[in-house]
Amino acid sequence: MNKGNPALNEKDAPSAISAIQQGFERSGYICNSQIATSIFLAERLQKPLLVEGPPGVGKTELAKATAELLGKPLIRLQCYEGLDEAKALYEWKYGKQLLYTQVLKEKLGDLMQGAKGLKESITRLHEFDDTFFNEEFLEPRPLLKALWQPGGAVLLIDELDKSDDEFEAFLLELLSDYQISIPELGTIKARTTPIVFLTSNNTREIGDALKRRCLHLYIPFPDTALEQRIISARVPEVEERLRNQLVAFVQGLRGLDLKKLPAVSETIDWARTLVLLHARELDAELVRSTLNVLLKFQDDIENVDSEINALTTKALQAAQ
Amino acid sequence: MTEVLGDFIRALRAADIRVSTSESIDAGNVVDLVGLGEREILRHALSQVLAKSEDEKQAFRETFDRFFAFDQFKAKPENAAAEREESEPGSGESQNGSGGMPGPGGGGTEGQPSGGAPAPEDLIAMLESGDQAALQMALAEAARQAQLNRIRLFTQRGMYTRRMMEIMGLDGLNDEIERRERADPAGAQRLADARDALREQVRDYVEKQLEIFTANAGRQLREEVLSQVRLGNIDRSDMKIMRTLVAKMAKRLVALHSRRKKVEKRGQLDMRRTIRANVEFDGLFFHTVWKQQKIDRPKVMAICDVSGSVAQVARFLLMFLYSLQEVLPRVRSFAFSGQLGETTELFERERKIDEALTKVLRDFGGGSTDYGQAFVDFERLALDDIDHRTTVLILGDARSNYGNPRGDILKKIHARARRVIWLNPEPKSLWNSGDSEMKRLAPYCDTAKTCASLKDLERVISELLRHAA
Repeated sequence: MNKGNPALNEKDAPSAISAIQQGFERSGYICNSQIATSIFLAERLQKPLLVEGPPGVGKTELAKATAELLGKPLIRLQCYEGLDEAKALYEWKYGKQLLYTQVLKEKLGDLMQGAKGLKESITRLHEFDDTFFNEEFLEPRPLLKALWQPGGAVLLIDELDKSDDEFEAFLLELLSDYQISIPELGTIKARTTPIVFLTSNNTREIGDALKRRCLHLYIPFPDTALEQRIISARVPEVEERLRNQLVAFVQGLRGLDLKKLPAVSETIDWARTLVLLHARELDAELVRSTLNVLLKFQDDIENVDSEINALTTKALQAAQ
Repeated sequence: MTEVLGDFIRALRAADIRVSTSESIDAGNVVDLVGLGEREILRHALSQVLAKSEDEKQAFRETFDRFFAFDQFKAKPENAAAEREESEPGSGESQNGSGGMPGPGGGGTEGQPSGGAPAPEDLIAMLESGDQAALQMALAEAARQAQLNRIRLFTQRGMYTRRMMEIMGLDGLNDEIERRERADPAGAQRLADARDALREQVRDYVEKQLEIFTANAGRQLREEVLSQVRLGNIDRSDMKIMRTLVAKMAKRLVALHSRRKKVEKRGQLDMRRTIRANVEFDGLFFHTVWKQQKIDRPKVMAICDVSGSVAQVARFLLMFLYSLQEVLPRVRSFAFSGQLGETTELFERERKIDEALTKVLRDFGGGSTDYGQAFVDFERLALDDIDHRTTVLILGDARSNYGNPRGDILKKIHARARRVIWLNPEPKSLWNSGDSEMKRLAPYCDTAKTCASLKDLERVISELLRHAA
């Protein structure tokens, strides 16, 4: 199935998993074996993968990296309140249908020529029954597109928790059987089973029925070693010493009681900021002036202010 | 392996992780796929099919480590080695001893259909050579035959230990020890020691299994009971469990009602949005958009009696009020016994529920109840803020010490508010007895209900959230 992709052709699980991990690393996505295992399982078991975790730990990024690794197109569906079938699955091209009706009107006389009586006319018309409801007039939206993609695709259903309950229920058929029902056409099956990612920020609980159909991966904040590797992959310009210091500082910051803890994406932004400022070493003043990159709430910034000196000292010591 | 996996899943269920049948099947597939070679990979892989929330992942990790712990026999390798050396000089003798009578023992076991258990001489050989790996396997096999995974109560430990020892060949071992006693007292003693050590190991094993399968059973039972028992009868020592229960309940309610719902009013066309939706079709109406009604989360004002007559219950009511404030964004809470005061801010400021409760009880509790005064204070503080979206929730027993309960103020409140709900911890038969004023107050409530246990509370609140509009 994955011809030409060495990462997923390994027979036994451990080597396949480490191959995935290395493949991700080449494309700049650093992950632990847990995440690689989940990709391996999702691919082999052909089950959708529900990824949860705090914002900014790389949930969406994981889907992108997987698409790149597998060499498949990434089809993305952003969820929001009020998302419905017409926007997620398919829509009829009404405009085109209208146009055809006009054309048909003119041709109707020719068609009906020679028909005897109403009955025969109707029979003739019935022969054209499906003219308006066939794939010609179907506008595929992300979900249908993913099922139709000839070589298979990576489908990312982003921030599922933002959608309505009804939409979640509507996804069940797609997720368990990789098929969808269109009333006018019948059931459409996937040409090649796509790999499906669902992400959630936990603003609400995802239903049990959906969870049962998915593999579940929880991505927490990375530990120090992993975060250092992520920073060195993403912001290679930053020197090792500064990198260790800033990672240690962020790790310390996550121990505090804050409204929104800084995630990996914030650490990356901060590292870039510090590189721009030509910083060589962390100090309290520098931290104070750039803290708004890490913390997104004024309350948090004020709360942390008194702790900055202690945290910086600790980070400097830890990075020794 | 399927059997082990089944046991593991039962252990997970005992640890509060919900595993459905389809998930068990998935787990089987996962094991087939990743194999048993790498412990870490197996753990990650299984956790992804079996544990589906952050809490469950944590519990999964603990259960996995406990369930797949194979350390008990590795614990004393030096001992085993020493024993082996020691037994070397006498080994010829003992081997003769065991070799001398393979006939009856061997024949007997071979004839048995179960067959998995080692014959007595195997056990003796294992003990003498200190072959821990073989012992481990024999132990696991014996556990399987004794159906150790059905253990439920700690009083069954002795029985299961005994049964497993028997399956492993205790009788033969005892006979052998007796026989040797005459010829080789030292060897017999050694064997007896080994037997006692083995019994200890079996007992350990049984206890560990008991913990795995029943770790949470006691707590689950307790929670079940506590959620149904009358709030007034709950012991102080159970406060901690109650707190987690209340928190759980609040969380469940949030999950259920966290989003604003909408109801489509079919029949009323939303002209503006319909035109917008059909612009692309040249104004022809392909889509019709109906007017929607948003169901808002309710504005709640909760008044809680914390006086002496409801002292037992007051803590829970407050606990509940505190949790409610976390669930619903617009809750104002008030507490009173003699006088009434607002506790909204206190609850918001105080992160720890215990301290918040203590403070409220200190500030407002202990006095003699005066519903009249409380309503007067409430009128002054909050009557102006009550509108047609507000639900007023009163928690108390309506015992006003024969003072005027000021039903007229409640009438005013009733007239302005969307709903007035009275939750009384006393059973209905006691209402209107003595100084209870339910008769005079209940007419101004939309609902007056007994609310004695957590289950009752949950039902009422769920109702409140569902029908809020």
